Amino acid sequence: MDEYTVEIKRTDVDGKTRMQTFKVPKDKVSTVLETLLYIKGYLDQTLTFRYSCGMEICGSCGMEINGKPHMACSFVLDNFKGDKILIEPLKHFKILRDLAVDIDPFFDKYKAVKPYVIRNDDGNYQKELLQTPKQFDEYIDYSMCIKCGLCMAACPIEGSDENYLGPAPLTAAWRFIADNRDQGKKMRLEIVSGAEGASRCHFAGECTEVCPKGVNPSFAIQKLRSSMIGLEFQKLFGGK
Amino acid sequence: MDESVRNLNEGVMGWAKFYRKGWNYFAFAMHRFSGLVIVFYLYLHLFVLSHLLSGPVTYNELVKTVTFGPFDSFLVLDVLLALVIFYHGANGTRLALNEFGIGLQKNKAMFIVFEAIAMVILGVFLYYAYMFIGAS
Repeated sequence: MDEYTVEIKRTDVDGKTRMQTFKVPKDKVSTVLETLLYIKGYLDQTLTFRYSCGMEICGSCGMEINGKPHMACSFVLDNFKGDKILIEPLKHFKILRDLAVDIDPFFDKYKAVKPYVIRNDDGNYQKELLQTPKQFDEYIDYSMCIKCGLCMAACPIEGSDENYLGPAPLTAAWRFIADNRDQGKKMRLEIVSGAEGASRCHFAGECTEVCPKGVNPSFAIQKLRSSMIGLEFQKLFGGK
Repeated sequence: MDESVRNLNEGVMGWAKFYRKGWNYFAFAMHRFSGLVIVFYLYLHLFVLSHLLSGPVTYNELVKTVTFGPFDSFLVLDVLLALVIFYHGANGTRLALNEFGIGLQKNKAMFIVFEAIAMVILGVFLYYAYMFIGAS
């Protein structure tokens, strides 16, 4: 076969859903994003999807490809065996139209963990905040998150509890707790130790499986839990 | 909840879909399943034992009615129950250790080792259980 059969789950503004199939020549496309751009350019201009950089940096083009969350830009079709491609919007997000989903609730959760360096001196420090390579290594992997939301779509708990903070926000919380320049550890641990926080995670590990940047959110959440336990022990023995 | 969100949220049934997912997800899904089986057994066990309140005749009658076939059907179910309990216990121990940050970097190896140890202990347990039944 010289063509890919691309089946796309489409949703109109009224919320009506249908499956539409397109035939795309194999020699014209190399990634799923290129496939979608080919369809939009030559077959159906009404197809809606979100993308920006096309090189797995902006985190815009996350979607379900053959039943699993992927970035459309980095899903190379040469590595894919078969001629049929099923493309659906990311799970656990509200669909705006076709493959474009509403990411506002995700970013609301992200903001809730205060994803920035918190200082007791309000940033008015007199000398440069130095880090050793070891201190840098503590958080650098977790700072690679591009906020694509694939982990939110892969998480089974996110699918059954919409109030659960989710892998990416919890990873962001740990990224700043692990940063030696940050002084907001206790504040963040209080935020993530609620019923909808890190304790809701059941370590299914799918967030780590689907992360395109190798961030490993499931490890970050387990480290958060370990810190939460430490905080509880401190409270138990009268620590501040 | 918004209609389109409801359509995309898989709900609890989504937990059972471990096809094309990682080993960790399989461990997670089986942990849920084995937990449900254990809870179901607990209530079944209490239901059966509650017949003792009505005296030994009633209890023995109940046990006779649910025991049939060439093999003791309860015995087969007991073996399956022991299997899920040993699986759940081993995986639960791994998860508890991981929560304390122990063996987090080697959690796949921990899963395999813990389950292997649990299955060996299960084998020993079943052997002695079989000897006990054979002796009685």
